[in-house]
Amino acid sequence: MTVIRTRAQSEFLRRNGSQIIVVGLLVVLAIVGVLVSDRFASVNNIMNILEQSVTLAIVSLGQTLTVLTGGIDLSVGSLISLASVLLSGITNGDPAMVFPAIMIVLALGICVGLLNAAAVIWLKVHPLIVTLGMGAALQGVTLLYTMGPAGKMPLGFDVLAYGRFLGLPVGAVITVALFLGTAFFLRYARFGRYVYAIGDDAVGAQLMGLPRAKVLLFVYAFSGFMAALTAIFLVSRFGVGQPYTGANFTLTSITPVVVGGTLLAGGRGGVIGTLLGVYLVSLLNNVLNYMDISSHYQLIVQGLIVIIAVSVYVEKKRKL
Amino acid sequence: MLTLSNVSKSFPGVKALSGMQLDVRAGEIHALVGENGAGKSTLTKIIAGVYQPDEGQIEFDGEIAHWATPGAAKAAGIHVIYQEFVLFPHMTVAENIFIGHERRGAFGLVDHRQTRKDAVELLHRLGVDIDPDRRVVELSVADQQMVEIAKAMVHKVKLLILDEPTAVISGKEVELLFQRLQALRADGVGIIYISHRLEEIFEICDRVTVLKDGQFVASHPTAEVDRDRLVSLMVGRDMQELFPPKADPATIGAVVLEARGVVAAGRVRGASISLRAGEVTALAGMVGSGRTELALAIFGGLEMTEGEVVIGGQTFRKMTPAKAIAQGIGLLTEDRKGQGLAMLLDVASNITAADLDAVSRWGLVDRRQEDAIARAEITAYQIACRGPQNPVVTMSGGNQQKVLVSRWARTCRKVLILDEPTRGVDVGAKAEIYRIMREMAAKGIAVLMISSELPEVIGMADRVVVMREGMIGGELSGDQISEERIMQVATQKIAA
Amino acid sequence: MSHAVEPNLSGMASGAEATRAWLQRYALHLSLLVMIVLSAAISPSFLSGGNVSNMLLQAAPLGMVVIGQVFVILVRGLDLSVASVMATAAVVATSFSGQDGDAPVIFALALAIGLGTGLVNGLLVAKRNVSPFLATLATMIVLQGMRSAWTQGAPSGNVPPVFRILGSGAIYGVPYNLIITAVLAVIFSVLLAKSTFGRKVYITGGNPVTARLLGIPADGVTILCYVISGVLAALAGLILSGFVGIVDNWVGRGFEIDSIVAAVMGGVALSGGRGTIAGGLVGAAILIVVFNAVLQLGLPIQMQIIIKGVVIVIAAAFYMRRKAG
Repeated sequence: MTVIRTRAQSEFLRRNGSQIIVVGLLVVLAIVGVLVSDRFASVNNIMNILEQSVTLAIVSLGQTLTVLTGGIDLSVGSLISLASVLLSGITNGDPAMVFPAIMIVLALGICVGLLNAAAVIWLKVHPLIVTLGMGAALQGVTLLYTMGPAGKMPLGFDVLAYGRFLGLPVGAVITVALFLGTAFFLRYARFGRYVYAIGDDAVGAQLMGLPRAKVLLFVYAFSGFMAALTAIFLVSRFGVGQPYTGANFTLTSITPVVVGGTLLAGGRGGVIGTLLGVYLVSLLNNVLNYMDISSHYQLIVQGLIVIIAVSVYVEKKRKL
Repeated sequence: MLTLSNVSKSFPGVKALSGMQLDVRAGEIHALVGENGAGKSTLTKIIAGVYQPDEGQIEFDGEIAHWATPGAAKAAGIHVIYQEFVLFPHMTVAENIFIGHERRGAFGLVDHRQTRKDAVELLHRLGVDIDPDRRVVELSVADQQMVEIAKAMVHKVKLLILDEPTAVISGKEVELLFQRLQALRADGVGIIYISHRLEEIFEICDRVTVLKDGQFVASHPTAEVDRDRLVSLMVGRDMQELFPPKADPATIGAVVLEARGVVAAGRVRGASISLRAGEVTALAGMVGSGRTELALAIFGGLEMTEGEVVIGGQTFRKMTPAKAIAQGIGLLTEDRKGQGLAMLLDVASNITAADLDAVSRWGLVDRRQEDAIARAEITAYQIACRGPQNPVVTMSGGNQQKVLVSRWARTCRKVLILDEPTRGVDVGAKAEIYRIMREMAAKGIAVLMISSELPEVIGMADRVVVMREGMIGGELSGDQISEERIMQVATQKIAA
Repeated sequence: MSHAVEPNLSGMASGAEATRAWLQRYALHLSLLVMIVLSAAISPSFLSGGNVSNMLLQAAPLGMVVIGQVFVILVRGLDLSVASVMATAAVVATSFSGQDGDAPVIFALALAIGLGTGLVNGLLVAKRNVSPFLATLATMIVLQGMRSAWTQGAPSGNVPPVFRILGSGAIYGVPYNLIITAVLAVIFSVLLAKSTFGRKVYITGGNPVTARLLGIPADGVTILCYVISGVLAALAGLILSGFVGIVDNWVGRGFEIDSIVAAVMGGVALSGGRGTIAGGLVGAAILIVVFNAVLQLGLPIQMQIIIKGVVIVIAAAFYMRRKAG
């Protein structure tokens, strides 16, 4: 609306700049990695990075869409925990139960997302509060279900986490496919365009008669679905679901989104930036490992990255 | 095609519309006029489905209509171009034009190439040269307006509503707009045209409906009324009654504030103005000519990139609101809610907000003293409220405005700047605000009033400074002050 | 539109309306009361001296954090770093010999950490225009890393006795930590409700543009609010370390969420400019009572978290509705 007149002209450069910066950082990190250790550039290590980034990537993919609409999904962590214990609990080692359990878990993710969206739309509560509350409730439900690892997965279920497809990690292939598919959707589907429009100007979207409710329902359901999918990959990796397995994902899923140049205010950014952000975080941790820097310092570095990213991509301050 | 009968709408504390009627025919341009706050925008929003009427009936295309959402009204064929555009700043021009009506190709996917092509064609038909790939945020306001108009042409509109479409465009662009509107009229589209500029209404509209204080006043073919009649219908009484007598030239004192070569916000490009004690100066000009920005720059609300402000024997190159207030300048902003009031706070806190120190000791606010001050002000300005503790958010526009006037009247010792002080205010409050302005001037304060309402400028100003494209286009005083002269100065192109 | 010359009295509530307005105004206090009565009715031990004193002990550190959180939320912010500040302060408390002589140093260090964190948060938000959520999230992560780097992941050592007393001792059944919180609550309530600074907080939170045009240093006010929150969180961390006695890297875990929940329940609007410390504290009291009632009623402890989640959404929806209505 009228604010546009005072916004910066350099917005365009700035926007694409974020991805250029991230790619540049990736290159720098890779060079550092090579210098630090000769094992860094090995096929094994690269596969390792790709494999380990799968879960973060998938949950961040869902998160990106909620952020694009100007919202946020803080329920993903607990949802991942719940989905993971349900998956291995229901399956409980029975190969015949794997498929039904996966279906149940994915359906759960979608339902949780729809509930989140419903509260945002009809109770008019800020997404932050809605998903925070949902996250707490889900964590409680998870702990009611089990206080420790639940059930187990049959042999061979680890194919998702460790399998290879055309020599590449299965998970990484699926991840890239999901990101490309979502990028395509955001660009070429009407709904995809509306995701941006709603984040850009919510009131305007309403005045233009855009289907805000449907878009939000979709976006939060998508995020829930992706969280459930993340849980499936986690369970595949660990062989069992655990009640706190997703706890860290709530906040870490936001890091790649903002590092990738998507603004928390919504309307600008995209999933490709997020994928680059995911690889940046993973590569950084990997390089720090090779540099023998303890995981404690890795946390500090991660926090600093968020600070730097958000201070670089800030919106132009609206001085009147 | 559109008939409203007995439509009413209330908001907390305000009756925005009551017993409103309106009928618009297919293939006519129907003007809607009324002062600020008469209910035009509420009416627009009811027709657009943004608000639902409390009472009354809307008939559209022979059927009773209940639009629960803007989407429903759009689907029925109604398109509104709001004064504050509905554009998505970070989407491209082409995307904005077709938002909600995307050009689609195979598998229902958005066809960006077709979108772009159609956008180029549409813009070409409009006779404007705008790059369809640019983000709207990067466009000038006039170009944004053109994108809005292009948007309207995409939709199968039956009824088009334009709210002050010429407020931000001029000359050739207005011509283009009028041509488009006439073409749409010929196609049988009904058009509601809201404007302050009466000459436009006589130029292009077939009929005119007048609103006042949320009520229907009259409806006439434009051929059957003249300008003066229209104005008196809008104001409800003879304009002259509202204005206190002007200052006797002998009482006008020395220059108290001088701004020299001010450049700010890309909108003010080297403007100089001086204000004299005891004088009411009006700053006229079109919306977007830089009036508001000049006022903000003088007050320190916008950064001055060049120029200086001289007041009280001191020269300021960097002004801040704190310094301005300390120097005895007050600024009543145009946007009462966005920039003036702390809406959630009460009357007393809002009145004392600019000089908290006066009612506090050792960093603590003396609530009793504050209350006493607020009570005195409430009485003095006849502010209708439940007392000093009444939150301003529940009060009517006129009374909110009086709270702001009282705030600045208390603190400003030398200069009072008022930006559109009577916007959204009823006639009673208006007369009151005019009276207060005169009183302030009589006390030796230099009053600067920014206004888009020419009758107000003419009725109040001892001197008129006209802005144009960020510079001072000319100055009029005494008998020179007339609508024609002001418009002439405001719109003439600056010689290259 | 009103042309009234007399002060408009039509807005004055009639009897029934007044009752409704009163009910709405005190809905929070009433629900606290109802919850206490219900819990007491169902479980006689709820109001026993031991249980009440236990609840008060728990309420004190939360209340302290809530006070700071209220300041931050009033200026349209959010402080996610409070729990991390608490834990860091607690780790500091155990990093010395465990004797009372270290108390001043510990105290000073903890406050410096709170102050520094608040300053960074405030600067990021006010000067760099970073969203409060991200700014405080980032400082939270950095502190977490610094803490575990400092302790190499496994904190050890003892809390000086004086903190144990302050954190878990009581005089005439009133816990010391509650007294400290009460004193702080009074001081900061006066600051917020009566001082010019408090007024500026409300104006800045209600409308930052207005604040700037009134010559109020909106950035400075915002930064100060974050500093208050950081310092109070550090204090709460010290008190809590004395309460739990042993310290791990997660002292105060969940306090960021709980303090936000308490403030929102207490009617502090996330959109800024509306709310009081008293409201936030009542919210905190409700939270503690609910948690305790869950245990007293023999419900599984997990119900605490579930109820918390549901309650915050309902509370937020309630205030949205009230604002709209």
